[in-house]
Amino acid sequence: MTRPEDEEPVDGLAVRDLTVGHGDRVVLRDVSFDARKGSVTALVGPSGAGKSTLLRCLNRLLVPRDGTVLLDGEDTAELEPTALRRRVGLVGQVPVMLPGSVRENLAYGLDPVAIGDEPLTEALRAAGLSEAFFDRPAAELSGGERARVALARALTREPELLLTDEPTAALDAAAARHVGATLRTLADRGLGVVVATHDLPFAAEVADRVVALRDGTAIVGAPAELLAAAPSGPATVRGPARGPEPHSSRVEPPA
Amino acid sequence: MSQPLAQILASAAFVLAAAWLAHRQRLGLSRSLLTAAVRAALQLAVVGALIALVFEVPVLAVAFVAIMVTTASLTAGSRMRALPRARRIALAAIALPALSAVGVLLLVGAFDATPRATIPTAGILIGGALLATTLTGRRLVEDLVAGVDEIETRLALGDRARDALAPLTRRAITGAMVPLTDQTRSAGLVTLPGTFVGLVLGGASPETAARVQLTVLLTLLLVQLLSALLTAELVTRAATLPGERVAVPT
Repeated sequence: MTRPEDEEPVDGLAVRDLTVGHGDRVVLRDVSFDARKGSVTALVGPSGAGKSTLLRCLNRLLVPRDGTVLLDGEDTAELEPTALRRRVGLVGQVPVMLPGSVRENLAYGLDPVAIGDEPLTEALRAAGLSEAFFDRPAAELSGGERARVALARALTREPELLLTDEPTAALDAAAARHVGATLRTLADRGLGVVVATHDLPFAAEVADRVVALRDGTAIVGAPAELLAAAPSGPATVRGPARGPEPHSSRVEPPA
Repeated sequence: MSQPLAQILASAAFVLAAAWLAHRQRLGLSRSLLTAAVRAALQLAVVGALIALVFEVPVLAVAFVAIMVTTASLTAGSRMRALPRARRIALAAIALPALSAVGVLLLVGAFDATPRATIPTAGILIGGALLATTLTGRRLVEDLVAGVDEIETRLALGDRARDALAPLTRRAITGAMVPLTDQTRSAGLVTLPGTFVGLVLGGASPETAARVQLTVLLTLLLVQLLSALLTAELVTRAATLPGERVAVPT
């Protein structure tokens, strides 16, 4: 086996032999995969499989027991954590709105004068909202709007990779398709997207690569092969079954 | 009837009336009312006897204050035991502000450096520090658990652990200070505070009693704010993990 530092650096995240545990329990064992910039990587598996745990290891909100996560070939354990988290953004499953307006949420932790409105507008539009939302109190937004503001807020930091946890969990089919299209567009613009989802059809639709977590280990492959082999477990089926080809069924991004 | 006998009979009658009333209303409180009354009687009898001894032997006064600080720290520590090092946090947050204030008051001559003056003053300040520490600590523990998503959101946006916790600690401190400032604001109008009552009953002039009470109340404001701030700072340190992460109590 080649040691991580001997490899050609991956443009994005390279997860190598990651083992994660809480106390005596091992949640993930020897997980390895790449999440490249400009592509969508889906982490799939039933709830409790360790998808969220794995995401949190990628921006070091969690520290793995063993193994490494490299960002552009650099060990993330050696990077300054706050700088790492600006380069690798995370949108959690619960879109938490911080006190204040949408604008204040988007500019959180940034210098509002130095940044100006333009990047905020751009992030808001990329997440599917207009700048009419800027002065709305964030606490008054609907669930779907909060999810979009949370995505936009991660984007204002201009991350190189975006981790998103169950982005379709609370959405209907049309809204989920819209989220899929948004993530796809972001990846096509060069962002590395890692999406944790229990929704296999959604993963098949948006992902270039799928990392299937089961019993603490990971199987990596193209969506077609993995999803064809997956048992019809907790996958949510929305509407008619879609073809397994990963790229043919991509939704077009909204205009 | 002698006065001491009248006091004992009256208070016993009142507590029995309370227990009877609770029983009649089926509140299930009679037993705890009675045990609380007996406990208070025993504690005060023991403390009364002890204090009489302590007033005679100054060395014992130091030990007495040490016991007050220890008991207060254990009480406050148990209120936030979900946190690592809870007792040590409570000890520092109570002892440092309360004992420093006692020292300053004695140094400037606001009180006589006698056990008779020092012990009650120290007791009030330690009690106030205990209250501030408990209110701040308990609120922080609750908010750490309930606010785990908010903290994680702030960390994920690039906050340092200390900055991610700052809104919680500010809320806990201001929340704790509200009842404490209310107590000061209502002094004399809604309540006659203990020091004032004690001094007047003990034969001091109302003017002296008011002056001493004011000194204690205003000292308490700083002591309690310092206790709340220290609690928040020490809880922040205890909850911060290496690598700008936050440990959430379970």
